[in-house]
Amino acid sequence: MGSTRILIVDDELIMRESLAGWLERDGHFVEKAPSGEDALEILKESRFDILLVDIKMEGMSGLELLRRVKENDPDVAVVMITAYGSIPSSIEAMKHGAQDYLLKPFDPNELGVLIEKIIESQAQAQENLYLKEQHKERTRFESMIGQSTSMQKVFDFIKDVAPTDTTVLITGETGTGKGLAAKAIHTNSPRKEGPFVGINCGAIPEHLMESELFGHQKGAFTDAKENKKGRLEMAHGGTLFLDEIGEINMRMQIDLLRVLEDRVFYRVGGTQPREADFRVIAATNRNLEKAIADGIFREDLFYRLNVIAFTMPPLRERKEDIPLLAEHFLRRFSQETNKPLEGIDREAIDEMMMYEWPGNIRELENAVERAVVVSKARKIRAEDLPIFRPEHITPQAAGKSLKDMERMHIQQVLEETDWNIAQSAKLLEIDRTTLYNKIRKYELKKAD
Amino acid sequence: MGAEKPRILISPVEDFDDELVDRVAAEIERAFDFPAERLPLIDDLSFAHDPGRNQFHSTPILERLDASAPEHYLKIIGMTRVDLFIPILTHVYGEAQLGGRACIVSTHRLKEEMKAERTFLERVAKEAVHELGHTFKLLHCKDKTCIMHYCRHISDVDRKSGDLCRYCKILLGDEVKRMGKAGD
Repeated sequence: MGSTRILIVDDELIMRESLAGWLERDGHFVEKAPSGEDALEILKESRFDILLVDIKMEGMSGLELLRRVKENDPDVAVVMITAYGSIPSSIEAMKHGAQDYLLKPFDPNELGVLIEKIIESQAQAQENLYLKEQHKERTRFESMIGQSTSMQKVFDFIKDVAPTDTTVLITGETGTGKGLAAKAIHTNSPRKEGPFVGINCGAIPEHLMESELFGHQKGAFTDAKENKKGRLEMAHGGTLFLDEIGEINMRMQIDLLRVLEDRVFYRVGGTQPREADFRVIAATNRNLEKAIADGIFREDLFYRLNVIAFTMPPLRERKEDIPLLAEHFLRRFSQETNKPLEGIDREAIDEMMMYEWPGNIRELENAVERAVVVSKARKIRAEDLPIFRPEHITPQAAGKSLKDMERMHIQQVLEETDWNIAQSAKLLEIDRTTLYNKIRKYELKKAD
Repeated sequence: MGAEKPRILISPVEDFDDELVDRVAAEIERAFDFPAERLPLIDDLSFAHDPGRNQFHSTPILERLDASAPEHYLKIIGMTRVDLFIPILTHVYGEAQLGGRACIVSTHRLKEEMKAERTFLERVAKEAVHELGHTFKLLHCKDKTCIMHYCRHISDVDRKSGDLCRYCKILLGDEVKRMGKAGD
């Protein structure tokens, strides 16, 4: 939350430990790997902002690790750690994309300055991305769509909670529409005539966060050339939507708690108290109880936010809404791209229904957008959908392609039901015709 | 009668002026609100000496301090005149077990660019409170006036105040509360 993620790769335990201890005191999240091979395993699971890599290691060398890492993620900053005799290799590493190198043992100031420089340049890139995203957010707005039971429950909940002025915490996986739910609460609330001001706490670079939320007075810091209103001030009389609340750093958690408790705040560098007259809706895809247990989220802030809470269902639990959502996105993108498409064919819908949609509605939206662009027919076909194309199958899954998985899964369900077509189709959530087509396509046969 | 307040132990390795140790004790009591007392635990650091670097590795010293201190001490801060290092770095002003019990401060490099003896006392007291702050899980603070700010240069030590900023005060309060709960 706010801290830089650093992976130390060094085969000497004492070096790993002493460097990790030092960096942890600076508030960074640090993981350690004793070899290049271990580092690659760790990198499969999670992303790091900075890698500190010893150039000379047993097994995979630092240079080889650098090459492999950069292939997968060119944006990660890799700093080579080197002994006096290995300087030429470090210079070689710089040619291959290493950010810099440090000669060990290094001066604590040198390390600090280098890490700070990297964080600043990454923050700058993040800031540019944030500005682009902000523009995108302004140009898109959807209403909530869904006929499934789980969505009906969400609608009922929104109807009940909207008229109150209570703080609401919306949880749910990424892409489930937490922002839309927040907006729906606002538009059905007595504050609907007031502004709905959202802030994506995860997307805003840490150094901009304070000023973005609280605003600033001219001269409060070097770049504060003018007075600026923050989101809290802009939300006056309306609703403040704190998206990805689980991502804010400890300092900002303390400041937000104070606002929620005192209902007043100050601009950065300001002395005039300002009234916090807004309703707060927060959202997160994180397990905040776990974050509290891990010491990265304040329990007192959690209780302030968690007055009323509900969870947005993932798309895989409301698959019956997929055709409706897909048609909705199709209409929108056909209009935007000026490409008149009649609809989505049956097989494409079936494919969509079979997919698990880990990225939820956002992933579906992107899939339909791409399909509209690439489609050459009057209707979107299964082959237009990016999720099912071979380039999306990772090398690890070679031989276990989605089609292989689908074939195996259908065969298994058919066996389980003793080839009862109606029952199998129901379990697979497809119609019988589609199931017959699949049986033909995959040449499935009843096992002896 | 209520339970006695836990104490913080100041453990000088070499002989230090009373004035300096008293000043460190006073600043520790002011910052953490726990009584501080003085008790030497180690007088020989040869076990941590690195002949190649002619410096002393601070990490094993912390382990020794922690193992030697009576259990009832909440935290222990060692004070030494020798030059400390950790293997990856050329030198350190001090080291602490983050969220642990022991820390140490070295006065070796705190005499650089010094104008008055008073400055030295202030520097040692500030760095002692800083290292102890880490044992209460406080991290480096970006506020340049906060005592938890990491100083790149000795002039930065002189520039920072002897106090925790309001954020670090809250985080310290949280940790003390948590420790109290854990100790119940």
